Amino acid sequence: MAATSDSGVDIEEYDDVWVFVEQHDGEVASVTWELLSKGRDLADERGEDLVALVMGEDVAETDIPQQCIARGADRVLVADDPVFEPYRSDPYGEQFRHLVETRKPAVALIGGTHTGRDFAGRVAVPTHAGLTADCTELEMEDGRYEMRRPAFGGDALATIICPEHRPQMSTVRPGVFPAAEPDEDRDGELEDVEVVVDESETMTEVLDREVGDVADITDADVVVAGGMGTEGDFEPLWELADLLDGEVAASRDAVEEGWIEPARQVGQTGKTVRPKLYIAAGISGAIQHLEGMDDSETVVAINTDPNAPIFDNADYGIVGDLHEVVPELIEYFEEHEEAIPA
Amino acid sequence: MTDGWNIVVCVKQVPDADDVSIDPETGRLNRSDAEAVMNAPDYNAVEAALELRDEVGGTVTALSMGPPNADAVLRMAVGMGADDGVLLSDPAFGGSDTWPTSLALARAVDELDADVVFGGEETTDSSTGQVPPGIAAHNGWAQLTYVEELEARPDEKRLAARRDIEGGYERVAADLPVVVAMGFGENDPRPAGLHRKIYAETDFEPETWTAEDLGVEDEVGLAVSPTQVGGMDTADPVPREQEVVEDSEELAEQIAEVI
Repeated sequence: MAATSDSGVDIEEYDDVWVFVEQHDGEVASVTWELLSKGRDLADERGEDLVALVMGEDVAETDIPQQCIARGADRVLVADDPVFEPYRSDPYGEQFRHLVETRKPAVALIGGTHTGRDFAGRVAVPTHAGLTADCTELEMEDGRYEMRRPAFGGDALATIICPEHRPQMSTVRPGVFPAAEPDEDRDGELEDVEVVVDESETMTEVLDREVGDVADITDADVVVAGGMGTEGDFEPLWELADLLDGEVAASRDAVEEGWIEPARQVGQTGKTVRPKLYIAAGISGAIQHLEGMDDSETVVAINTDPNAPIFDNADYGIVGDLHEVVPELIEYFEEHEEAIPA
Repeated sequence: MTDGWNIVVCVKQVPDADDVSIDPETGRLNRSDAEAVMNAPDYNAVEAALELRDEVGGTVTALSMGPPNADAVLRMAVGMGADDGVLLSDPAFGGSDTWPTSLALARAVDELDADVVFGGEETTDSSTGQVPPGIAAHNGWAQLTYVEELEARPDEKRLAARRDIEGGYERVAADLPVVVAMGFGENDPRPAGLHRKIYAETDFEPETWTAEDLGVEDEVGLAVSPTQVGGMDTADPVPREQEVVEDSEELAEQIAEVI
């Protein structure tokens, strides 16, 4: 293979796997740890370094860079400046462009959150990167890096390659890859990088920001999810989830009806969950939803329609109204507390 | 007072997701009968564009890229109230991924002297959400994605937006020109008015621009797209027990087994 591809990019100049560390107010998004874990595997297979990219104000003084090393990074690049707090696409994009041009990473992984998708879409253009959205598999296959993502609503899996451009960028939704446990004894290198963005050149201004307690449905062992069949009444689902120490989630329809907050949406445009137990109550089982729950160990379906596709995708199902079935389940577990793990 | 803003709204023709069915024999997706419709989130983009025009004055131009029959989505936007439409159509665009697609659109919105460019948050067929930020990046303009509400500030030549972020929201003000990706379902798109609809379907003819018109003939298409499809596999359904039980107690016992 020619070192310089038809695109004029010398792809052999590019190496290392980068992970964009998404942090807001010093809180690191959990998807970052998932990407560092997956990135570690990829870097090992490629025989390259795993590099974490941290941007923010006073981040150098937090334990975030050290945490990145504990979670698998060989090197941490820290761009520390007030211009990076809070996140804005234009200064983040400009800094990333500079780092890519000067350091030439081969692979870059970014969380498929709203922030990550905003950032990735912005930076792939000036760096002329290949960007693949919502990857669910990232593999080295006979020396070739392959990104896989659901296509046609989840029924097919498309393999995306990036033969002549670097970096090869991907966004990945939270919950797709498991996070590794931190190893505080790992060694790594911290490096402060030159900040090339000045506030006077920015085009945007964050006027205010309101973040509440973010529900993390991707981390729960038990997920009780509701759809249109709840008719807006999620109360029994909350009760059951509380009893089983789980989280409440929902289909896109239910989120769009305003019955529950978007952070709890499971599916192609929401989050991917991988609990031990997924209870789908009043969810018909559209393929976009199935895609977000497929990694669940056991799926239980409750639906009044015996022909709902959810039954083909469940381990145990019952045909019935969730407003009768769920309270009966609650009653059962209240009477059999020993059945609930401590 | 202002002279009004040049507002452009990008719309895409996609296969109707409701028409895409699973073949019960093969388990494969059957999209051949699917009708071509306007991408659902783009209705929110058109509505937002029209509301902004109502507020600050100016014009709304609908912009699409696709085969010649994609003029149908421009007619839909014009029926809803857009003033004009432009179609980017050229075999040279074939196989473009999001990089050249956003380049062609970026050149077109620049040509249209846009102050604000709207798009939906993503398309229902490829779901990348990359094109609005791509347009902004190609032109070096500001971007606002996952937008819930807009607040025009014509005196400051800025547009402020409330954006959905994980666990909450933020309000961001951006300098013009700006690219806005409207969140899906964040407003109630108006139906096409009867007179406007008749005009859109009879008298209205969109302008068609080629890759050469935009000066991008060497920068679009499959060959220059950074990403390529390397293969397509059927996603195997996860094997499930599919056991239907008769009463809640039996179901509870099964649940107790797995937690």
